[in-house]
Amino acid sequence: MFNRLLLSTVLGGVLVAAFVAAGGGVSQAQTSQAKKWTVPRTPDGQPDLQGFWNNTTYTPLQRPTGVNKEFYTAEEAVEMINKAAAAEAEQTVPGTVEDVHYDFTQFGLDRSQAPLAQNLRTSLIVDPADGKLPPLTDEGRRRQTARAEARKRAGGPTDAVQNQSLSVRCILMDRNGPPMLAGAYNNNYQIVQAPGYVMILVEMLHGPRIIPIDGRAQLPPAIRQLEGSSRGRWEGDTLVVETTNFTDATGFQGSSENMRLTERFTRVDADTILYRFTVDDPSTWTRPWSAEVPWRKAVGPLFEHACHEGNYGLYNTLAGARAQDKREAEASASKPSK
Amino acid sequence: MRTTFAAAIAGAAILFAAAPTRAHHAFSAEFDISKPLKLQGTLRKWEMINPHSWFHVDVKMPDGTVVPWLIEGGSPNQLIRLGVTKNTLAVGTEFIIEGYQARDGTNKAVGRNFQFADGRTLFLGGSAPGAAGADKP
Repeated sequence: MFNRLLLSTVLGGVLVAAFVAAGGGVSQAQTSQAKKWTVPRTPDGQPDLQGFWNNTTYTPLQRPTGVNKEFYTAEEAVEMINKAAAAEAEQTVPGTVEDVHYDFTQFGLDRSQAPLAQNLRTSLIVDPADGKLPPLTDEGRRRQTARAEARKRAGGPTDAVQNQSLSVRCILMDRNGPPMLAGAYNNNYQIVQAPGYVMILVEMLHGPRIIPIDGRAQLPPAIRQLEGSSRGRWEGDTLVVETTNFTDATGFQGSSENMRLTERFTRVDADTILYRFTVDDPSTWTRPWSAEVPWRKAVGPLFEHACHEGNYGLYNTLAGARAQDKREAEASASKPSK
Repeated sequence: MRTTFAAAIAGAAILFAAAPTRAHHAFSAEFDISKPLKLQGTLRKWEMINPHSWFHVDVKMPDGTVVPWLIEGGSPNQLIRLGVTKNTLAVGTEFIIEGYQARDGTNKAVGRNFQFADGRTLFLGGSAPGAAGADKP
């Protein structure tokens, strides 16, 4: 524990230094550097977004209760990060659900051991201005209830492998998206550009997003995909990616298959891409909403994440449930009949 | 060497703040909260695989027999990035592992705390070459 706290303190110090030295967030950097920063070009003249990136953040999607401003000061941001980092490094209480887990810090997986872009925002959501998801529409509420009822009808989470979430089954995780948001760890991406295409390799699940930028139409509406159908274009130096054709199983924050997602990738300096996305789904929310998170230049290469192949945990979970079923059946069979 | 299965640390009146649960899956569905354990053994093999790595540990019982256990740990990708390889932990390294046993009752557990036999905490991320530069591009 001592070692962990020591490391946390050391890394906290690094973060403090980074924030104070920078003296501002991405939004400030963006405006001041828009004048000086010249985006490098690929040989065929596209703005060059290529390389390895990481979108780890301590900033929550929605603004925490009690915080009533858009930006922290640099000092407040450091305090927020240090508190969160210390909480991650702390021991969990024996005998609690949280304690039934390996230790993140022992495996280098807590966020203080990942690259981190400066971000003074108090929430990733930038619109609406209150930093919160807009209210659900009546249809959105009805769908939420219907989905909960469908889950109940399907039985418990260990009654069938299909009842486990897409991430537990190694099919789709939050890093894959889209939109692509950081999870607990391994929030690494590689962008590769070729004439007519941008490819974003997501380390988690080793999932490549291949985005045509040659002006072709979206897939026909009848073809639905978990990650939708993405088409990109350049608006100035910003890569804009529109994604439609989601399925009902995607459900990002409760979204419907009609979600229209617009992602914007802007390289604001040598070490940062500003990633902004807008969710437009009138059958779920009363208005569109947008969020923003900086991606920090990271160390390559990406490593294989053959999740399904090594997913012993899924087997163990189901085997544990079957062992429990057996114990219960034996206990009920051995009960004297009345 | 001895193996201790115990409701160790019960009654620890220390104030610990709960870390956020940010798991790939519900570990409490895989492992039994009512079966905490502490075991001591030597590393036979480390599977550096995703989504979670697995330590094969030989536990020597009081009667001299050796019982193999599988202990679940974290995803190896960040460790590899920090310079850790499967040779970082030598085969034969002695561990004391606290954790919880699998719900199916087999010799599998999640290792919620790994210590070396001399009491030092296993800290792969922080002790790895290059770890100090982890936040550098």
